[in-house]
Amino acid sequence: MANIARKHAVQLQGANVREQLKAMDDSAVVTAFLGGEERAFSELVERYQTRLLNFIYRTIGDREKAEDLVQEVFIRVYRHLHRFDRSKKFSTWAYTIASNLAKNELRNRSRNPLVLFQTVQKNWQDDDRPLQFEDTNSRPDDMYRKRHLREIVEESVAKLPEHHRNVFILRELEGKSYEEIAEITDCNLGTVKSRLNRARNSFAEIVAPYME
Amino acid sequence: MDCRDFRENHLAFVDDTLAGIELVGMQMHLTECESCSRQDAIVRRSLMLFRNLPTIEPSPDFSARLQQRLDDVKLADATATQSGRARKLATSVIATSVVMLGYIGVSLREVDYPQDITLPPVVALASEADATIAAPAPEMVASVPAGLPIWTAALFAEQTPIHFASIDLTSTAR
Repeated sequence: MANIARKHAVQLQGANVREQLKAMDDSAVVTAFLGGEERAFSELVERYQTRLLNFIYRTIGDREKAEDLVQEVFIRVYRHLHRFDRSKKFSTWAYTIASNLAKNELRNRSRNPLVLFQTVQKNWQDDDRPLQFEDTNSRPDDMYRKRHLREIVEESVAKLPEHHRNVFILRELEGKSYEEIAEITDCNLGTVKSRLNRARNSFAEIVAPYME
Repeated sequence: MDCRDFRENHLAFVDDTLAGIELVGMQMHLTECESCSRQDAIVRRSLMLFRNLPTIEPSPDFSARLQQRLDDVKLADATATQSGRARKLATSVIATSVVMLGYIGVSLREVDYPQDITLPPVVALASEADATIAAPAPEMVASVPAGLPIWTAALFAEQTPIHFASIDLTSTAR
């Protein structure tokens, strides 16, 4: 394996390394990094930063903290990549780290009411921000309706029990397979399916009145 | 297919992972059951809403902050490696010293030292003065008043042990 890594490192010494890295799959990028190509790590960051940020943000509901946690994911990946079992998917491993960090964050919040208060306060202050995501050509009442609906959806996700929410986000937002979700959440396949089914129905129930 | 079967299979139905015959059964049930059809529609629409939530992007300084943290980690790892080496070196020096001291200790125990020599106690004795007064030889006594040639007397005198009169006197006084 070390030989393969060295081979990749040698191959990447040519021009346009970044282009070569972009063309590789995750496994090859990991191998290149372990072979001494530091730029391969930047490629991994590039590929996963937005996905992990959205996953963590949807799980914990705090953007700033989500960014911190995504950084922590990459720090852990950097430090422990040599221990990563390369017979498995890199993305599953990265999501497992992210999922555990998000879980810890939620657990810490439930133990520390001050953190919870700060988050609520910050979310409340966010309401005063100018609209950013809506189409500015829309009519004001349309914009309001869309924004309101978005908030309802976000709040509805937050209302799901933590272990249901985790599975729900991994499936509906990240498009993970049941098997991957089972690995990430350390549950068996039956549990994943059961939780996902419940989460979908609960979410639909919460959102339904706003969709009429 | 009844409503219960429909609900049990709904997860796979939404994910489009049902086998052909089950899929047909589900679709048939949808046309027959208004309640299940409504539930199916609500679930699908709510999922669509969720999937269409705007994606958030990392803040502009995200990469710079991450790079800073990675640099800190590299520095910390390098320091830890160095201190680890120093610790290993110190440990090996201490271990070597202990081994050496142990070896020296064992070696010293094995050396065959000469046993302590026990000498008899030293007793100092003063030689006792000869208390007996040696009387001059009769020849000498006789020759001196008799006017005999002196050489005989001198010869005898040389051979006679020296004897101080004071000692004699002291002894006599006792």
